[in-house]
Amino acid sequence: MLGILALCALALVIVGPMFLDRFSMNVLTRSMIYAILAITVDLLWGYAGVLTFGQAAFFGVGAYATAMLFTQVGSSPTLIGLALVLAIIVPVVLGLIVGWLSFYYGSTPIYATVISLVFPIVVTQLIYSGGTLTGSSSGLVGYTGLPFGLEGFFRLSGICLVIIAVGALIFVRSDGGRILTAIRDNETRCAYLGLNTQRIKIVLMAVLAGVAGLAGFLFANASGVVAPENTGFIFGTELVVWTALGGRGTILGPVLGAIGIDYLSANLSGELPFLWQLIIGSLFIVMIIFLPNGLAALVLRFTRRGRSELPIESSPELVMKTSLHHKNSIDGPLLRIDKLEKSYGSQKVLQDITLDVSPGELVSLVGPNGAGKTTMMRCLTDGNESSRGVVRVAGKDIAGMIPNQIVALGVGRKFQVASVFESLTVAECLRMARAALETPSFVSDSDVLGLPSAAIEILQLTGLDQRLSTQVSLLSHGQKQSLELAMVVALEPRMILLDEPTAGLTKAERTTIGAILKKLTSELGLAAILVEHDLDFVRDISSRIVVLHQGRLVLDGSVEEVVNSEIVKTIYSGGDHV
Amino acid sequence: MLIPANSAPSSELKARPGPFVPAVISIRNREPTAMTLLLDIVTTAAILFIVSAGLLAIFGVLEIVNFAHGAWLTVGAYCAVVTGGLGLNPWLALPLAFVTGAVLGGVTERLIVRPLYARPLDAILATWGLGIVIGQLITLWFGRDVQFTENLLSGTIHVFGANYSLYRIFALAAAAVIGLGFAFLMEGTRLGLSARAIIMNEPLARALGLDTSKIRLVTFMIGTGLTALAGVLLTPLTSVDPTMGVAWLIGSFMLVMVAGSSFGALAIACLVFGGAQVLVSTFISPILGGITVAVLSALVLRISSKGFARV
Repeated sequence: MLGILALCALALVIVGPMFLDRFSMNVLTRSMIYAILAITVDLLWGYAGVLTFGQAAFFGVGAYATAMLFTQVGSSPTLIGLALVLAIIVPVVLGLIVGWLSFYYGSTPIYATVISLVFPIVVTQLIYSGGTLTGSSSGLVGYTGLPFGLEGFFRLSGICLVIIAVGALIFVRSDGGRILTAIRDNETRCAYLGLNTQRIKIVLMAVLAGVAGLAGFLFANASGVVAPENTGFIFGTELVVWTALGGRGTILGPVLGAIGIDYLSANLSGELPFLWQLIIGSLFIVMIIFLPNGLAALVLRFTRRGRSELPIESSPELVMKTSLHHKNSIDGPLLRIDKLEKSYGSQKVLQDITLDVSPGELVSLVGPNGAGKTTMMRCLTDGNESSRGVVRVAGKDIAGMIPNQIVALGVGRKFQVASVFESLTVAECLRMARAALETPSFVSDSDVLGLPSAAIEILQLTGLDQRLSTQVSLLSHGQKQSLELAMVVALEPRMILLDEPTAGLTKAERTTIGAILKKLTSELGLAAILVEHDLDFVRDISSRIVVLHQGRLVLDGSVEEVVNSEIVKTIYSGGDHV
Repeated sequence: MLIPANSAPSSELKARPGPFVPAVISIRNREPTAMTLLLDIVTTAAILFIVSAGLLAIFGVLEIVNFAHGAWLTVGAYCAVVTGGLGLNPWLALPLAFVTGAVLGGVTERLIVRPLYARPLDAILATWGLGIVIGQLITLWFGRDVQFTENLLSGTIHVFGANYSLYRIFALAAAAVIGLGFAFLMEGTRLGLSARAIIMNEPLARALGLDTSKIRLVTFMIGTGLTALAGVLLTPLTSVDPTMGVAWLIGSFMLVMVAGSSFGALAIACLVFGGAQVLVSTFISPILGGITVAVLSALVLRISSKGFARV
């Protein structure tokens, strides 16, 4: 299907020059180069959720690198080759820098957008102050580059566009490409699946900067002129407008949006110069408000995929995987907490917590609301949370580590509210949980899904194995909780932390989860720490109970010891039902 | 003979060294004295404060970045053009701009911003689209040429041993009035109390019976009214054309990101970054001066995501 489409498109750009007049050919060459940029904006914004105005600057840097080399040095075949390399490498390096600035642990989406605004402004101002080197405000013109005619550039740009569009489509449909959507949906969950989302986004930005630079190289050659406007943030906003109107998150939508609007602009702006911009602006506002996924969404609404009715045979086959890591056993306790403290100013939410947990233990953390249970979970999974004290996982001090590094030590965390990927399918969610262990393919989608046996068992017990191709947003609350548990188990952790896994579940679902947890700990040797309010449930499954009260650990003992203690009865007033 | 700084706005400030450089800095042909440099710094900070205040009012309470901010500055400036065209007292442009800005802001909040409170990134885009539309409407109406407006105040004033532009000193006073006015509005009125309640915990504010959608509407109208007012105040300092606002958008956007929801933090940010801008423009290059605010803000945010908001 994709192959046929690509061949048709290729045929179109190759025979195109025979039917087009010079003006159209000129304009369309430019439009197709812009369409390449729209693809990069779509991958960043539509798929990964990073709203960026900065792609124009990478494009401009590529174009200027090319034009400056041709103007200052000359244009032999070697130099043209060098220009191509520079036009890609320089933006890639800048992309790494901009990415490093934009994405760090705890950075907000709006901050990345801020950087993407500042970057093109800086580049433009540097070009303005570059004197004869950059041509300042008048740009560079009159250099010679690739020795192609009008038809040649049309075909070259078209072929590049087709290749990049096909590449992008293959990528976003691959198992690896789904990571971008997962990050857009729920970046926290990605981090707690062991994925370094910051690094993924930095790499994505650098690669797409290189693609934008390549488009800049094409533009500098085909147009024979580069100007500061090509690098500016206004152009960056235009790219976003085209992507939005065409349909973000579809690749083809932005391509058609860019070509269509740029071509129409060139034809209409002569007759209705300001009115045309007015129409585009109004259309853009209406689209953003009422049809945020653009024209492509309107088209997709009439197709099967758009209505999320995927055919059942697209379900992957479940395969049991032998465990991939943490095979070496460790000496001593798996988790060692020593005098952990967490305070907000003078307010101490946790103090003097000392606790060891060994493999095979199922420790329940109980205590009234506000006792600090969830805070303690946070301190165990994020090395920047605690105020004092030492937390060691498998012998390693986690101070300063970010969640994905702690996951790599063998800690899986299940959140209180099911944290899954709403726009992925069940199978894709589970694949995300494996992505940090086995790098997924970036060109194909696998038709098998390899999971550890415990995860498969959870799926079978909860019936999720029959719904692998269902989109997660269609699942019930209980199914999402089970899916998240299966995802955490698929990480092959040594220890799982669960925050109220049974909240809002039916009695039957609770029993199932309890049985699974018992099996994971007593048979498979995992350690589990469970925050739970349901004391009957706790009593049934725990091997040990820890009581937190007002930020202090007041009791740590076997189920019998804790349940019969006076202290617990006092804390839980009317504690006789314990 | 000394040539007074900023005494003749029409001749010295109409040129912009690049598309993103607001023409705040006077272009002098003499060495600056310490006194005029200091005055440049505080008056530049004052102008930045005036221009950013409306954006901050909206971002602080609604957590929406109004990317049509530049368009509202332009609308305000054209109110001054209209006032001049009718032969009215130029000071009348201030109330006219405030009312025009607020009314247009009210319509915008209802139709465009309200559906997007849950989608802040989309709100940036929709308001940017609105900025395009307003810019094109102004172009269709007034043409794309530079317009001239009557000076609100001209001449120089002798301050601390230096002759200095009277208007820039007036801008300092205007910034103080706007800042204090906001402080009063937030701390001393019922609307301010409600707005602060929304900033802290909107669901709770609604549960307590506050009409949050009305407060959002009024806040947005005050923000846009104030921005249009700032547009009038800019007319003696910069040329008036349909795209004039864009040059100011990024600077004020960055300042607001750094300041969060606090007018005090905004004042500090304007002084620090405005000061840096004056120094870079004076001693290095006006072109690089134009990106000082944006670059420094980005770096401050990278180091501390709360910016100056904790001040």
